[in-house]
Amino acid sequence: MIKIENLEKVYKTEEIETTALNGINLHVKEGEFVSIMGPSGCGKSTLLNVMGLLDKPESGSYKFLETELLKLNDRERSNFRKRNMGFVFQNFNLIDELTVFENIELPLIYNKIPSAERKKLVNEIIERMNIVNRSGHFPQQLSGGQQQRVAVARALVTKPKLVLADEPTGNLDSAHGNEVMELLCELNETGTTIVMVTHSSHDASFSNRIINLKDGHVISEKINKGKTEELI
Amino acid sequence: MFKLNLKIALRNLWKNGGITSINVGGLAIALAAFILVMMYVTYETTFDKGNPNYDNIYIVGRTMPEFKTNYTPPPLGKAIKQNFPEVMAVGTLKKGGFEFAISSDANTAFASNYLMVDYEAAKMLQLLPNEELAKPANEEGILFFLAKESMMTLFPKKKDDKPELVTLGSKAAGQTAEVKGTISVNKHSNVTFDALSVRKELGKNENYGYNNYNTYIQVKSGTDIAALEQKINTLYKNELIKDGQDVSTDRYKQTTIFLDPLKNQHLKPMAGNNAAYKVLIALSVLAMLILLIACINFTNLSIAQATKRAKEVGVKKVLGVYRYQLTFQFLTEILMQCVVATILGLLIAELLMPKFNALFNVSLSIWSANNALLYQLPLILLAITFIAGIYPAMVLSGFKPSLVLKGNFQTSRNTYWLRNSLLIVQFSVAVIFITSLLIISTQLKYMRTQDVGFNANQVVYIKNIMMFSDPRVFEPVRQKIMRIPGIKSVTVATGIPDGSENGSNGYTVNGVEASIDFLDVDFDYFETLDIKLADGRFFNKAFKTDTANSAIINESAAAKYGLTDPIGKTIRGCSMDYKIVGVVKDFKAQGFETPVQPTLYSIKNPCGNAKTQLMLKIDQDQMSEAIATLKAQWPDINKMDGDNFRYYFLNDLYGKLFQKQEQLQSVFFAAALLTIFIATLGLFAFAKYMTNNRMKEIAVRKVLGASDVQILKLLNSSFFAMVIIANCISWPLAYVLTKKWLETFAYRIDIPVLPFLISAAVTILLTVLTVSIQAAKAVKANPVNALKYE
Ligand SMILES: Nc1ncnc2c1ncn2[C@@H]1O[C@H](COP(=O)(O)OP(=O)(O)O)[C@@H](O)[C@H]1O
Ligand SMILES: [Mg+2]
Repeated sequence: MIKIENLEKVYKTEEIETTALNGINLHVKEGEFVSIMGPSGCGKSTLLNVMGLLDKPESGSYKFLETELLKLNDRERSNFRKRNMGFVFQNFNLIDELTVFENIELPLIYNKIPSAERKKLVNEIIERMNIVNRSGHFPQQLSGGQQQRVAVARALVTKPKLVLADEPTGNLDSAHGNEVMELLCELNETGTTIVMVTHSSHDASFSNRIINLKDGHVISEKINKGKTEELI
Repeated sequence: MFKLNLKIALRNLWKNGGITSINVGGLAIALAAFILVMMYVTYETTFDKGNPNYDNIYIVGRTMPEFKTNYTPPPLGKAIKQNFPEVMAVGTLKKGGFEFAISSDANTAFASNYLMVDYEAAKMLQLLPNEELAKPANEEGILFFLAKESMMTLFPKKKDDKPELVTLGSKAAGQTAEVKGTISVNKHSNVTFDALSVRKELGKNENYGYNNYNTYIQVKSGTDIAALEQKINTLYKNELIKDGQDVSTDRYKQTTIFLDPLKNQHLKPMAGNNAAYKVLIALSVLAMLILLIACINFTNLSIAQATKRAKEVGVKKVLGVYRYQLTFQFLTEILMQCVVATILGLLIAELLMPKFNALFNVSLSIWSANNALLYQLPLILLAITFIAGIYPAMVLSGFKPSLVLKGNFQTSRNTYWLRNSLLIVQFSVAVIFITSLLIISTQLKYMRTQDVGFNANQVVYIKNIMMFSDPRVFEPVRQKIMRIPGIKSVTVATGIPDGSENGSNGYTVNGVEASIDFLDVDFDYFETLDIKLADGRFFNKAFKTDTANSAIINESAAAKYGLTDPIGKTIRGCSMDYKIVGVVKDFKAQGFETPVQPTLYSIKNPCGNAKTQLMLKIDQDQMSEAIATLKAQWPDINKMDGDNFRYYFLNDLYGKLFQKQEQLQSVFFAAALLTIFIATLGLFAFAKYMTNNRMKEIAVRKVLGASDVQILKLLNSSFFAMVIIANCISWPLAYVLTKKWLETFAYRIDIPVLPFLISAAVTILLTVLTVSIQAAKAVKANPVNALKYE
């Protein structure tokens, strides 16, 4: 589904130039669950942001279902993103002023889904996430695990083809982290493609394939046998 | 510790340079306005304050059935002095009444405000010439002094203090007099003049019927003024009888004496109105409002900035600093900013001073020595520091370390309502000023464009002291003037339509008696002023009776008497039987504030004053030649004024009637501009802060697919709502205020809708623009940066 070739991303600041991505090649199949690992500063987030169309690379190609995404203008990128992708962040990034329900509803509003249908979709996912009795709460009133579940719910409510997760368990304890990982697995089992950045090999073990980055290069790739067989 | 705090403060102010300068700049501008108004208020409330007996000087006035007056007869003062030991001094003054020329060989000056005083008045009111004032030696001795400016005009080379000889009146017809010396005129006094004569005694031969003097008394401190007033009243009544006045009339029975303190004379004299006082209060309120708005801004922004300081407070508290120390620290920071604002404010005030002086017709200066600002400014500084600083200081120092240090801390929710209401107040005030300004301007435009019923254009008014009450005396003058090319018509009257009041008297028609105005005119009065005829005819030389007993009335007078067919009717008054020969349409000789008075115009009037006011209609194309010729021929045409030919354009004089409104318009223009400016400054900084605060939210929304327009709308919506609320609050207030103001006009506009809509549009537009400029930055920013983990 995703074909990334020779992706290069350079950050220029006044003093230095940082090559965050240095010729990345990456293919992701539909329905795959890919983990990206590597030391801090090796370009994992940058890669994820480029994949999520939040950042533009200097050169390379990024094909998504045969569409070359790097040629799109801002508006088209924005539209493509809101229809096909969902995001989960390490620090949740929920809007403090909105309730759980409203947070989850937000992407549907921007996708111009009518109000009645929005309600239905949000309620469905709230039930699935097991946070029904929290739907009127504000993010600050929830535990970290609950907040991340809301964030996952928000990423899923539009039924995206691709979910991008940047260290989704990074701010959580292991119990809450596992809950979130199970959620992502369930999601993957229903056919959603997932690309996840993580520092934890335990989390990575849930995925089909683990990609190791260093200094903007892919240095190794490991297929997680137990999982991949299922896929094939 | 202090050094460290200072460092933190300076670094903070520097880091938030934009907001700091908006904060300080807004405050400085408001302070400038406040300083100007305060100086003006101080000036206006301290007339004569330099007089050592300021608190003990009173003017003696009379309460008549219809009005109060400061005019008293001269013997009253003498009687008071003789009878009441608590009265230490009595001074008598008399105004000269008309303007006259004073000439030396070199030049001519005019004394338009000639004042005669007795020696005691000069002493009491400190009308002191440059050298010691000698008591006039004998009863007839007159010491004549001139204001410095006039003296300089007359004797440009004069260095010494020696007396000089001058001619009074026209050189041909005038008399000579000796000027004793110069006298500096205190403009900051109730008693002003440009020429002064001091006598040993004033009004010596005049009895209690001569009510055209002013009497000032100086009492011993601690005197019971109410009791003294009573005693003088009784004395006055007794003296009237002794003097042989007819005290049987109601008029005399109802007349009483009052004592009015010198300190009230300028702003709220009993005999007169207190309009100046009201204007002063309104101005003060205005200045305070503007300063308050600036303080609100300051408070608002300081609180908005508070989150940035939360960590500092938290850490300091953990380290054991007391709350009051933190409060003090933040107050000191705000004081520093206020000091800078005050200095800037002084500079701005200095820059605006000339404009302000011109507008209010004063000559204030910041740098004068005995300036009240010296003690007022530090007080204001402390006051605004307290008002603007106490709340933010409390909020900041009140942060709970446990909450602050956990991160996730926001002040916005605690102070959300406060900040929003403060913004609403600011915009409400701005809306009131904009709306009022627009309504004032509409009324002014109405006054300028409305048909006033006469045409003042190309009418020239010539100053004259010759009395032309008899048309036969005036006729040769008219003929000489009419010979000059370009002169279309000439007339003389007791008054000109420049807002001055006419006399009034009781007249009877068909048994109906009413008090109406009267004005004495000559032929061609109506023609010169282009006044429209409603019925009958104008005065005409062809009718011999016109100089005897013909009268023309205006429509208001006809209506007052209920006359449907006034021509030929007899109107009786002032022991005359007038025959009405014409009715003229009403014309607004008194401007727009008072309705057109029912008025009788006649050529002959035994009760009238002397006709001295010359008016000429001159062809526009030959205006300058005609005036030049007039000036050249004036000594021949009018011997009394001779070489002193002075003229004014009537439309300039009539235009002066609008001065008060124009002044008000200027004040409201400045106020509207100021409040809008300061409120927008506040909004700008606040929007900047709000957008910064919502960066993360905006980024999340963008990642989730929000379009730029949607984000802009989102950021604008709350501010938009506030402006709408502000408009809703202000509209009724502005409506009531302007309605009250408009009611002071007899001829006025209906309150228009447009000003309300315009002020709404202006404030909304400004808000959307201000917020969008800020929001645009957030919209353009890459969301990735905002979503980075801390
Ligand atoms: N906005 C930026 N400006 C400059 N350099 C950046 C920026 N974002 C990331 N970098 C640099 O790019 C490199 C990769 O960053 P990132 O992708 O965030 O690493 P990580 O693998 O830890 O997620 C780092 O060296 C980082 O310093
Ligand atoms: Mg990262």
